[in-house]
Amino acid sequence: MASIREKQVLALKRMLNFNTPPTKSSSAEPQWKVLVYDRFGQDIISPLLTVKELRELGVTLHLNLHSDRDSIPDVPAIYFVLPTDDNIRRICQDIQNQLYDSYYMNFISAISRQKLEDIAQTAIQCNCVQQVSKVFDQYLNFISLEEDMFTLRNLDKELSYYEINKGDVKDTEMEQIMDTIVDSLFSVFVTLGTVPIIRCPRGNAAEMVAEKLDKKLRENLRDARNSFFTTDNIQAGQFSFQRPLLVLLDRNLDLATMLHHTWTYQALAHDVFNLLLNRVEIEESIEVKGPAGNMMIKKKKKSYDLNPSDRFWEKEKGSPFPQVAEAVQEQLETYKTHEDEIKKMKSAMGLEGDDEVAFSMMNDTTAKLTSTVSSLPELLEMKRLIDMHTNIATAMLEHIKHRKLDVYFEMEEKMMSKALLDKSLMDIISDPDLGTPEDKVRIFIIALICGPPMSDAEIDQYCVALTGANCEVAPISFIRRWRAYNKMNAAPSQYGGGGTTTVGMFNKLMNKSSQFLMEGVKNLVIKRHNLPATRIVDGLMESKTLQEIEDYRYFDPKLLRSDSSSVPRNKSPFQEAYVFMIGGGNYIEYQNLIDYAKSKSSSSAGQKRIVYGCSQLVNASRFLEQLGHLGQEM
Amino acid sequence: MSCRDRTGEFLSACKVLQTRQINGAIQRPSHPLKQRSEFTQIAKRIGRDLANTFTKLEKLTILAKRKSLFDDKPVEIQELTYIIKQDIASLNKQIAQLQQFVQHHKQQNGKHLQTHSNTVVVSLQSKLANMSNDFKGVLEVRTENLKHQKSRREQFSQSNAMSMHPSTVGSREKSVLFEDEATYGGASGGGDFVMNMDGSSKHQQQQQLIDQQDTYIEDRANTMQSIESTIVELGSIFSQLAHMVKDQEEMVQRIDTNVEDTEMNIEAAHGEILKYFQSVTSNRCLIDQPPKIRNTLRFLYKIQKIDASCYRFSYIPSRSGPKRERQTMGNNEEDCDT
Repeated sequence: MASIREKQVLALKRMLNFNTPPTKSSSAEPQWKVLVYDRFGQDIISPLLTVKELRELGVTLHLNLHSDRDSIPDVPAIYFVLPTDDNIRRICQDIQNQLYDSYYMNFISAISRQKLEDIAQTAIQCNCVQQVSKVFDQYLNFISLEEDMFTLRNLDKELSYYEINKGDVKDTEMEQIMDTIVDSLFSVFVTLGTVPIIRCPRGNAAEMVAEKLDKKLRENLRDARNSFFTTDNIQAGQFSFQRPLLVLLDRNLDLATMLHHTWTYQALAHDVFNLLLNRVEIEESIEVKGPAGNMMIKKKKKSYDLNPSDRFWEKEKGSPFPQVAEAVQEQLETYKTHEDEIKKMKSAMGLEGDDEVAFSMMNDTTAKLTSTVSSLPELLEMKRLIDMHTNIATAMLEHIKHRKLDVYFEMEEKMMSKALLDKSLMDIISDPDLGTPEDKVRIFIIALICGPPMSDAEIDQYCVALTGANCEVAPISFIRRWRAYNKMNAAPSQYGGGGTTTVGMFNKLMNKSSQFLMEGVKNLVIKRHNLPATRIVDGLMESKTLQEIEDYRYFDPKLLRSDSSSVPRNKSPFQEAYVFMIGGGNYIEYQNLIDYAKSKSSSSAGQKRIVYGCSQLVNASRFLEQLGHLGQEM
Repeated sequence: MSCRDRTGEFLSACKVLQTRQINGAIQRPSHPLKQRSEFTQIAKRIGRDLANTFTKLEKLTILAKRKSLFDDKPVEIQELTYIIKQDIASLNKQIAQLQQFVQHHKQQNGKHLQTHSNTVVVSLQSKLANMSNDFKGVLEVRTENLKHQKSRREQFSQSNAMSMHPSTVGSREKSVLFEDEATYGGASGGGDFVMNMDGSSKHQQQQQLIDQQDTYIEDRANTMQSIESTIVELGSIFSQLAHMVKDQEEMVQRIDTNVEDTEMNIEAAHGEILKYFQSVTSNRCLIDQPPKIRNTLRFLYKIQKIDASCYRFSYIPSRSGPKRERQTMGNNEEDCDT
């Protein structure tokens, strides 16, 4: 079955082909077009299609709606925007100015009748109704980053943890946030073409979203003429009797994971370099010859794309860092052997002309050369990827060493699994060499949430120490309140069976005198354990009886009458689950869920698929910022 | 289909609005159906030709891939190959012309139109390059098949040929380098000859002589051909190399690697700062906090310098005219303060 990412790519391709299913690209007559998108449209497209792919689809120019665009009189334009007032106004302006030959409007989510009429009005005024060739609702209101991961907004403030949890949030604002989330989730399931069974905890944002989504799906299902989920809309072969489970969760369920230091490749990239829309930016220092002949170190920002098409990335993104470093090393070596082969061939070919071997080879050299040349692009691509991963890993290692992230990771894992600490928390906080102030706040908050209960006096004492270490204590005051509030309804001990083991450092990597000097960095191996979200998903998928999920609500939009009884009718285990975190998520949780799904698929019969989604992908420092805001507003 | 077509709804909305409007507002005169520009027309034509050639190529591929010894259609393949060759050449010429056309009209067009036409040309070129590559591949397959067929034919007819004309094959002078081709040619040529000479034994001696010459010439032609194809192969390798360099460049890009974002942000920031500046100049805090103002002014001055260096903002200097005046005014005040 096609993944969410594939389906979105397919939908985009169809849109770029003027809303007709794409045919074979080579034999069709090319049609040139201009793509106009807004910020959100750009965020959707950029992780999915590269410029090269867009070119192949006939897009000659891709422009932001709100930039100054010159008129290109005889080219059709495809718009891919959200139907906001601002965007509509700008589109009308384009029509008035006769910028393009014809207009294909594609709205990321459904456009209201009122706005449609606004555009119609403008078109009539300019007498170019004919030029508005098509108006489509695309229902693509989400950003799919991986085959099994999506997020709703990139950097917008609107869906953050802060916005949902701030004290003075107005009802209308909250309503709007929920509507946005529901609209996006609806888009997800329209794109997938399935109706999920919804489960959610009671009494928080997740419940609100679940109710609204249930209503929206229900309305669409009842409207037989326009339903997206009728059987003829589902292509043959994709139809299955199994329905997916949608688990809606609220971020307040588990704050510790958001602040946790991590040890896997992708999550580290997110934590340390702020991986954004599958792209990292790394500051590299390059030695440059200065004007006076002396060497100067110049800082340069470089950005790398981490695509699912990158096989190394796909394989290693969930691996712990030392393993990744090793894998990079291995890749480098295989590449080198390839390169050597080519070099050998070069010398055999022409340079030593009187060589007997070269002469006897003459017969098939051209054939060989041809094959080599056609393999060259592949090799070059491989080199590019290896270079990229080498650079990223090197920069990452630097950060790890600098901030002693291994120490933090080990400590936090122990705290979460309630193991004995070999170093007191106070020591870490007061040690100036150990990490940034931010790291200290993070570990303290985790200790506060997961560790043994602390008295107020103790916390105050720690706060003083933290302030002494230049730390911001505003997030802590929020966490204290949050803890007091949460104690009433949930037992905090949900992090079970984790912990790490330290493996001897002198492994293969060191013996090979690699360029990754891992000295001083512990080679930690993660033991598998489940985060709270994963435990809940496990419970719901397998219909286990867990105390935490006993009172979870149950919605089935396909049932005719909505009853508020939360008794699940379907007792068979689910094969497919969509987990959606309201209020932000991160790669740690994603990785944990994926690992869980993998282990389940291998052990028992039947594949399990889990897709992770969140309203916003935030890394720890951004999340801490939000907590800080909340703390200050108290 | 995960999308919903609302074109119909839009058109009906238009109709409703139109009927409502008819007695009201004056309608602007309708635009005459715009003449498509010469560029678009040419580009469209080339695109269509490309597509046509592609279908021809597909036909050729199907023909060339046939392995059967008896269902071989050499004439058709020959013809198609020739036609495609011609097509590619003419397309190449047309694209070059189009490129010149674009270069020619550089001044008249806006920036975006220019990039658009450039991209069109480039993508046409790359399509053509892909096609010639495919074409080459098909030809290679064909040659491979021919060789295969020859060797098979040789297997079945060799004994016959050898017994009839041992001298023909043996006595001929052969180039050392192209020995194997020569034997191929000789053997199959002999085979053909057997077929031809059924019944006419009278002129055998004569014909043998002629045939000897024929096969020799055929050999020569064959070797020439193989050399030629090798050269062509090499040529294509070099062109491929050139392409590779360019491909690498484009491959990495994503649409959000865009300078324009930054541009817009700078513009917005500029506007904000201007607003702040105006509020500051009109404020009493001008007197209260001279150092702060001075910093702001310095900052503004810097921004102006950036503006000036940024060729893209060619329209900003005109806007910043009054600002510069204020700037000097501010400086005066600074002087007064000190």
